[in-house]
Amino acid sequence: MLKKGRAWFVLAVAACAALFVVSTASAQGTTLHILMEDVPETHIIENLLPQFEQQTGIKVDIQKLVYSEMHDKLVTQLVSSSSYYNVLEVDFLWAGEFPAAGWLEPLQPYVDKTSFDLKPFIPSMLDLVGNYDKKLYMIPMYNYSMGLIYRKDLLADPKLQSAYEAAFGSKLEVPKTLKEYVQVAKFMNDHAGVAGAAMQGQRGDPNSMEFSNYLFSAGGHYLDASGKVALDSPAGLDALNLYVDNIQNASQKGALSATLDDTFQLMCRGKAWSMVTYWWMLPQLDDASTCPNVAGKVALGVMPGGHGESGGWGWAIPHNESAQAKDAAWKFISWVQSKKVAVERALQGHAPVRSDVFEDPSVLAKYPYYKQAESVVQSGEAFPVFTYSAQYEDVLGRQLSLAAAGQAKPADALKAAADGLQQLLTKAKSQ
Amino acid sequence: MVQPTVGMSGNGRRLRRKIQATGWTFAAPGLALLLIVVAVPLVLAIVLAFSSYTFLHTNVLPFTGLANVKENVQDPYFWHSLWLTVGYSAVTVTGEVLLGMGIALLLNQDLRFKGIYYAILTIPMAMSPVSVALIWHMLLQPNLGIVNHVLGTLGLPEPDWLGSTTLAFWSVVLVDIWQQVSFVVLILTAGLSALPTEPYEAAAIDGASIAQRLYYLTLPLIRPVAAVAVIIQLINEFRAYDLFYVLTKGGPGIATDVLSYFVYRKAFLGLNINEASAASFGLLIVVLLLTIAFYALISRRAH
Repeated sequence: MLKKGRAWFVLAVAACAALFVVSTASAQGTTLHILMEDVPETHIIENLLPQFEQQTGIKVDIQKLVYSEMHDKLVTQLVSSSSYYNVLEVDFLWAGEFPAAGWLEPLQPYVDKTSFDLKPFIPSMLDLVGNYDKKLYMIPMYNYSMGLIYRKDLLADPKLQSAYEAAFGSKLEVPKTLKEYVQVAKFMNDHAGVAGAAMQGQRGDPNSMEFSNYLFSAGGHYLDASGKVALDSPAGLDALNLYVDNIQNASQKGALSATLDDTFQLMCRGKAWSMVTYWWMLPQLDDASTCPNVAGKVALGVMPGGHGESGGWGWAIPHNESAQAKDAAWKFISWVQSKKVAVERALQGHAPVRSDVFEDPSVLAKYPYYKQAESVVQSGEAFPVFTYSAQYEDVLGRQLSLAAAGQAKPADALKAAADGLQQLLTKAKSQ
Repeated sequence: MVQPTVGMSGNGRRLRRKIQATGWTFAAPGLALLLIVVAVPLVLAIVLAFSSYTFLHTNVLPFTGLANVKENVQDPYFWHSLWLTVGYSAVTVTGEVLLGMGIALLLNQDLRFKGIYYAILTIPMAMSPVSVALIWHMLLQPNLGIVNHVLGTLGLPEPDWLGSTTLAFWSVVLVDIWQQVSFVVLILTAGLSALPTEPYEAAAIDGASIAQRLYYLTLPLIRPVAAVAVIIQLINEFRAYDLFYVLTKGGPGIATDVLSYFVYRKAFLGLNINEASAASFGLLIVVLLLTIAFYALISRRAH
């Protein structure tokens, strides 16, 4: 009896082992694993995957995650002997860190081997999420430059117009400067029954990205032309004072802990007049099926003052992968960023990184505001991209949060933020 | 467990050694797993804490001595995080034990549907801290969350639970107590059900009131069990990370910037795994000292 039981046990273990080996063998070489942010851009690509799978026989498994969790998950994979993710979606904030750490495969050999044409890619996007230290490590995927999305119906409301004119002696219209923007936002907050500005004040990436728009539009910079820290300047202080004024007097309740998702939901429900956000939010807000309260009532403009935060994602291949996996990864990247697929993506709302897609007649016919979007992208400036960009977001975010909460004077917070940037730049240079 | 060998015959000693060997054989796999999962990372973390290893410079050598410790000690945010963590642990553990004791005393009576109450109590305990944090993040959303919606409907103020520098800390405390109190209730309920009945019978005969029986009998008798609950929860709360990561990210300002979040930022944003390890050991030392001190206090009082 015991011998019979033992025999069944051994058989069961052998069967399990065989199943494991077969399933592992069948997965390797035919499935690409990609970690992507859970945003509309990812869903657009998912819709097109059957095409790629049919053409190449390579399966693609996309794992979606919120932005704030992605960096940690990727770092733990990239420091190991073999990464589970064989195609990487790299945010521009990591575009200095990952190549500096030696985690990315140089892509020029793949470009040369397959004659992949880089000329249509917008040069500023290649600088942001393409080249590092004069080597090509990423192919730009999509841009997320920031601008101002606002409710044009509220600007056109006659009662609000006359109240604004009575209060300020000027016409209620799309603000042209940062100061005007804060003034209009505060007015809307007091008179229109909505928050003047849906602001994402949570410490870290949300508030750092949002503040960057205020900084650039006030004429400030993180670094000057020679690469020296220039944050602690009169323009920087103006920007921070206006940011603090807006978040304390014009934003929604809970702004200090709000994320992008919170602000989008608020805007979508018609509870805010404006948001400084990624321009690709416009099609989502303008969609009657998802945001019936504001569809047809929202518009996109360049950040008042003329310069918004420029951002983007790029595709990359991890260095710690097999040659076979790297080849499959390049097949995917060159397919998804080809003109044909990029136009198909753009027709579903993708934010292009190729000038030929921005200017494609079919894209412009469906989304006339892409002309505006191209201006937003072209006028953008970038957050400092270096080895410790992600850490600097945290350092800056802390100071912005302290200032916004009234726990630090803006001048002190700005100085601390500038000192933090200097320390990290020095640390990066010494590596 | 180990029996004295003096006076035992040779056969007796051989038998004892055989029993011990059998015991070690059965315990060996578990101990080996414990060694791999606990001891090896602990030793590695000690080595990293004194090394120059970062995610960018993946070499343990050269050793840096106390440089990483010094880096943390000289950071004013390290001390803020440490004291905030001590305060957070004190408040949450006190809340959990007081509330837990109250619920345990209620459940220690003859009640109908006791099984249903136990089932409801175990639900928060069965949820992962991240799930708890995500759910409460939605509930406490000041504009769209249901908590403020209900408060507003009742004509009450609608606070900014996670965005106010004064409220954010207490909001996380409440969420933590909500989740962790179930564990304390279970431990204390088990302890209460194991208490002897004779002292209570004698007290009842002597005319002691319910409050007197609680103060003079129940609390002293339950002390050892309560001490275990306090120590376990103290260790848990010092390590608290998930709730802060999801609910507040250490903000607003630095209102909820506890030490575990400080360590996370050092490791995964700063890529300084060596400094993060050094800071973790600071946390470990504080937890050890508090645990020893508390246990000594409880033991002395029990004697």
